[in-house]
This record gives sequence, structure tokens and C-alpha cells, in this order.
Amino acid sequence: MENPIRNIAYDALVIGAGIAGGETALNLANTGYKVLLVDRELSVGGKMIMLSKVFPTLDCAACITTPKVSEISRHPNITIFTGSEVSKIRKVSDNEFVALVTKQPRYVHIEDCTACQLCEKACPVNVRDQYQFGLIGRKAAFIPFSICSPKAAAIDIDNCTLCGACEKVCPTNCIDFTMEVETMELHVKTIVVATGFNLFNAEKMPRYGFGKYKNVITAQQMERELAPTRPFNTILRPGDGKVPDKIAYVLCVGSRDASIGNPVCSQICCMYSIKQAQLLMGSLPMADVTIYYINIRSFGKGFEEFYQQAKGMGVNFVKGKIGRISEKENGNLILRYEDINEGKLQEAEHDMVILSTGVLPNTGIDKLFENQKLQLDQFSFIGQSDMLASPAKTSIEGVFVAGTATGPMDIPDSILSAGSASSEAISYLIQHP
Amino acid sequence: MSKINPAFNKELEKFGSVNYNACYNCGNCTAVCSLSTEDDSFPREMVRLSVLGLEDDIRSSLKPWECYYCGECSTHCPQEANPGELMMSLRRYLTAHYDWTGLSGLMYKSLTLSIIAFVATFAAVIAFAVSVGFELEKMLHFGHMFEGIAIGTIGFTILLPNIARMWYYTILKPKTKVTFMKYVKSIGELFIHMFTQKRALGCDDNQFRWFEHFILVIGYLSLLFTTVVLNWFGTSSLFVIVLGYIMSAIVFVVTIDFVKGRMKAKKEVSKHSQPSDIFFVVWLFLMGLTAFMVRLFIDLDILESNKWLYIFHLTVLVQWALIIVPFGKWTHFLYRSFAMYFAKLKAD
Repeated sequence: MENPIRNIAYDALVIGAGIAGGETALNLANTGYKVLLVDRELSVGGKMIMLSKVFPTLDCAACITTPKVSEISRHPNITIFTGSEVSKIRKVSDNEFVALVTKQPRYVHIEDCTACQLCEKACPVNVRDQYQFGLIGRKAAFIPFSICSPKAAAIDIDNCTLCGACEKVCPTNCIDFTMEVETMELHVKTIVVATGFNLFNAEKMPRYGFGKYKNVITAQQMERELAPTRPFNTILRPGDGKVPDKIAYVLCVGSRDASIGNPVCSQICCMYSIKQAQLLMGSLPMADVTIYYINIRSFGKGFEEFYQQAKGMGVNFVKGKIGRISEKENGNLILRYEDINEGKLQEAEHDMVILSTGVLPNTGIDKLFENQKLQLDQFSFIGQSDMLASPAKTSIEGVFVAGTATGPMDIPDSILSAGSASSEAISYLIQHP
Repeated sequence: MSKINPAFNKELEKFGSVNYNACYNCGNCTAVCSLSTEDDSFPREMVRLSVLGLEDDIRSSLKPWECYYCGECSTHCPQEANPGELMMSLRRYLTAHYDWTGLSGLMYKSLTLSIIAFVATFAAVIAFAVSVGFELEKMLHFGHMFEGIAIGTIGFTILLPNIARMWYYTILKPKTKVTFMKYVKSIGELFIHMFTQKRALGCDDNQFRWFEHFILVIGYLSLLFTTVVLNWFGTSSLFVIVLGYIMSAIVFVVTIDFVKGRMKAKKEVSKHSQPSDIFFVVWLFLMGLTAFMVRLFIDLDILESNKWLYIFHLTVLVQWALIIVPFGKWTHFLYRSFAMYFAKLKAD
């Protein structure tokens, strides 16, 4: 890294541009503060923008996220750095933090790109599309996804062959392979951490066969299959492209499981699985959908009714954690479980299995702070110094936390938490001008 | 009506159970168990019975004996409730309950008592040796006599009544109707399981452990036969001598691997070894080794000048026959076989 660009000043730095970070940035910006919003992905919107619908209202997730995202993008008080990461934070005084931000080159000048997709067509490289969670492929010159923001192409330099085909077809000459890593030194008065969560990697439970059996997918992948901007235009199982008609959900994959190191409940899996089951019954009216659960935790407003609605629609609920999954020759899967209500071991055949993977902390944020200690809780989520009275406060004065960075929660709770973090940050800015 | 014993948890702890109250009834243990079937689902059922302290149901159950402890249930238990070790503790608990003398239970619960028993038997052997003036001929004669008498006495006064008690708890008391013909017809099950432990083959990635176990059982029983019936230490038949060497070598070589496993305690099955488990494998090892050495010394004609070896062998033998066989883990071998027999009787 060369000499950083210095003397950039903002009132607030928001790390993470998901729904919580975005909401926080908007609240701060609407109050008149200058905000820098940083996200390591190529688009703002976080995990929510990739979802199909939200529970328990079945509202379209993109229809809630995209207006918000465009508001963030167009707001005069918000500057967005995508493909960027904060690498160091030092607290100088009560109203000054110095943060080092590294911006990875996109190799495309965003302001000139018209998202015409000609570069995509020209690019000869095919790789798995991480924004569709590996369900389909994409090019090395690509638009991340259809509703991304900023809507501009990017070059995946790790897979690029540097053939120059994209450069030749680009009508606005916005592709620029001379771009380099930029490092910036920022001076901000307050920081909001909204770094979200990671989903459990289902490959860590080999007995469920994810990664080995093609028709075992994660709920995140099913979320893409159900979304309005979905890749296949219908529900297909990846093994052979068959439309499934006996679908199983396996709950608590990577949550409430001390044997894989995460003993806590992820709070969202029951509900998103019930939501997906309802959507599947809409997409595939003849399909059987079974949810294998330990306990259904429908604790929020309207959640129990939503659960009962799924039961009424004919979703099967079976109490019993899946022990093992094995694959038949035709790609169907045998699920072994104990039916707790009967007390008997059972085996069931399904043609597609969806693993409802749990919420894990997005680790490493505490390492950014150089001269202060950002306390974590016992599960490595960011610790709330006063959880009951001021849930957005952290162990560092002037650093606040929003959304799932503090622990598993659903979208309404994340937005509430963002509201709390932004008002705490505003109050801090007023007290430390 | 079922009787609940709220203090059962405390009782079972003495037999080595750990943390089974953490169970949240997901059934994962039953689902990962490769021996569990639709008609015979465990171990969660046993966890449930233990949590509630339903002692009558536990005593009438054969399921603890149907588990061969591969440890998969404990490895994958989301609550780390250790169902595998619970099944092991239940086997110890049942052993104590089948035993009419009550000594099994006392020795499981108290290491001190076990050590006292071991020391007392050692003292008795020394006292005997003194009484015969350390005369090798007399000691050898006694040792041979002892084996035969001990097998008969222990078998008729302790093991047989205990099997009868097991039968009472599991078949008679729950009022299972079994015709006499069924008892006769199913008897094959008993011997198949006794000699082959074929059920353990059903455990995943357990083929080697089963094979070791199989060789050990065959080796042990043959060694017993060679020493007791064929009088290995007194014989001059070359065939018997060689047979004895092979069998005793098998016993101590195979047990080395078991002892090593217990010491390392890496696999789920040996993570929570109790003293009784250690005694069992170590004494089996010593039995094989000392028998081998004694015969070797006889053949080299140096036993006369190394009487200590025979005294040591005799001590191990007496401790094995009077402590470990009737009250220790040896009985599991017997109860397991009978459990499979009784399970066959219970099945339609």
C-alpha cells in the first residue's frame, strides 16, 4: 500500500451497507450529517436485497430494499464506497477517529458505465456466480446482479484472462485495467458498526451431504430460486433440472448445535423456512413440503399466525432432527430421523432437501480497533455494553452497533436496531461537536 | 402406574453418566445410530427414561445391551448430552441390579472397595503360598483345581442367578408371554451372539474393532479351555502346548491395542473410561501375558527358580475369577448375549 489519500473528513462512518447500515446512514444523512458508507461487496443492500419475500407479511424483499437503496445512493449527504474495507481504526479524541479504508479496484469507472452488458457478452470466462450462491454461472466481466447498486459492471480480476475483449466492446470506454488499490485515511466523529452476520457453511456437516449431493441446497440458494429476479424462472433441483415434488427442510443446521460450536438459536430459520414453504406451495401447487424441526420458534408479531397459516396450507411439520442424509441413484435423498411424537426411527425419501443454515458472527471487526478494545460477547458477536438501556452502545465511546452484528435477529428488529444506533450516534455528534 | 425417581440422576452419576439432562429431545442420537431401527429406537428413549427416573422401565429394557458404543451419538449430540456414555452407565447400572449379591454395584461406585478387594485376594494368594511352603508342584496343582472350581461355583451361585434375575426383570415382570417352544427355537441366537458379537458389525466404521473383539473372545475362550480342560501347564502334548502359546499370545497382543485406546482416550468410546473398564482390559492383558510366560518358563525349566512369576499369575487369575468375572465388566459379555436372546423372545 502506498501513501494514503489524507484529510478526508466525515461526521460518521458506517461499516456495512446492509439493511441496518443503510438505514443508519439514511437516518444520519437526513439529520444533516455527512456519512461515509463502506461495504466490501460490489453492491449495497447486504443480504436482504437477495431475498425473495419477507416474513410474516410476504412482502417482496426487493420492493422494500430497492427504494431504500436508491435513496441511499442518491442522497447528497451519503458517500458510498463499495468493494472497500476498513483496515484500521484509531481513536484520537472524543470526537475524532482515524480510519484507514482500502478500496479494491473495480476496473470499471462506475460513473461512465451504462450497464449495457456488452462486456458480459464479450467475456469468454465462465465462473460460478457468488451472487446467485453458485446456482448458475457468470462472466469475469459482470454486473453483480440485476438490482445491484451502483448498477455498474465489475471485473473479477482473479478469474480474468486479461484478453481485453470487454475493453474493445465497451461503448463508453469505462473499463480501465490500470486501476489500483486505493488507501484512504478518514477523519470521522463517530462510527456505526453494521457488519451483519455470516451463514453457517453447511459443508461443515458432512452427514447432510451438502456439496456432495447435488440436490441438497441451502435455504439461501432456495431464496434465489424463489426471488422475482430468480435465475431459473421456476423451481428446479440442481442435480438434473427436475421440478421437485417432495421437498424437505432441515432446520437447525449449524444452530442450537454445540457439536459444531454454535449452541444458540438463529431466530430466523424457522420463520424463513415456513415462508419458503408457503412460497413453494404457491410455485409448485402439487408439491409436498415437509419441515423437520426440533422446536418451531414463532415468537414475533404475527409469527405464530404465519406458522398456523403454513400448517393450514398443508405444509407437513415433523418433530425430529435429521441425523443423516444419503443419496439414491436417481438423485433422491433418504433422510434418517427419529419421529419424536412416535418415538420411532424413520426414513423418508425426498427429491430435494433444503438446509436451513444458521446465523454466525461476522468475525474480525474487533481486530480493526488499534488503541481501544471492542468487546465481543461469548459467541463473538459485538458486545452491547448496556444491552437493556442503550442497546446500540459498545465498549468504545462513540462507536455504536446496529443490526445482526450484535446477534441473530430478523429484518424488522435489524431496522429497529439501526434506528436506535442512529439516534445514539446523532446524540453523540451533538454532544461532541 | 409408573413410578418416577427424581433422585435417579444422582444414582446414575455414580455409574459414570455425564450431562444427559441437557437433552432437548431432537432425536439426533437415534437418527445417527446405525443399530437403531424402527422397532428398536434408541438411545433417546433411554435418555428420556433416565431424565424422568423411570427405573422400572429402565430395568425392563434390553436396549442398553443392544448398543455397542461406536460413539456417533455423542459425537453429533447438539447438546453435548453424551447419550453414548449414558448407555454405558445404564449397562453398569443394570449389571449392578441384576447382581443379587450387590457387590457389582458397590465396586462400580467405589474405587476404594475395588482396590481393597484386589489387595485382599493378593493377600490370600500369598497366604496360600506360605501355607504350602512355596512348593511349585502344590501351587500348580491348586491353580489348576482353582480354575475348575471357580468357574463352576461362580457360574452356579452368581452368574446363573443373575441371568435369572435379568430374565425376571425383562421378560417375566413386564408380563411378556413367551411359549416354551419359542425359548427352544430362539436359543441359537444366544450362542451366535455370545461367540460372534455379530451385532457390533452393524456399527459404522467398526469392522476392525469387531474383528479384534471377535479374535479376543475366541482366544480367551480357547485359552480357558486349554488351561482348564487340557491342563496346559501340566500337559506334555506338543499340540496342546503350541495351542496354549497361540491363544495366550492372541489374548495379550490384542488387549495391548485396547489398553492403548483406553489410555489415549481419543475415541468417543474410551473418553470416559471408568476404573472398571481399565481393570477389565489390563487384567485380560496380564492373564494372557503371565500364562504365556509361565508356560515359557516351564519349557525353559526355569520356573522352579522363578516362583514369583507363578504367584503373580495365580494372583491375576484369582482376581480375574473372583472379582472381574462375577462383578466386573466380564458379565457384559454374558448379558449382551442373553439380551439378544431375550429380545428375540420379545419380538413377534
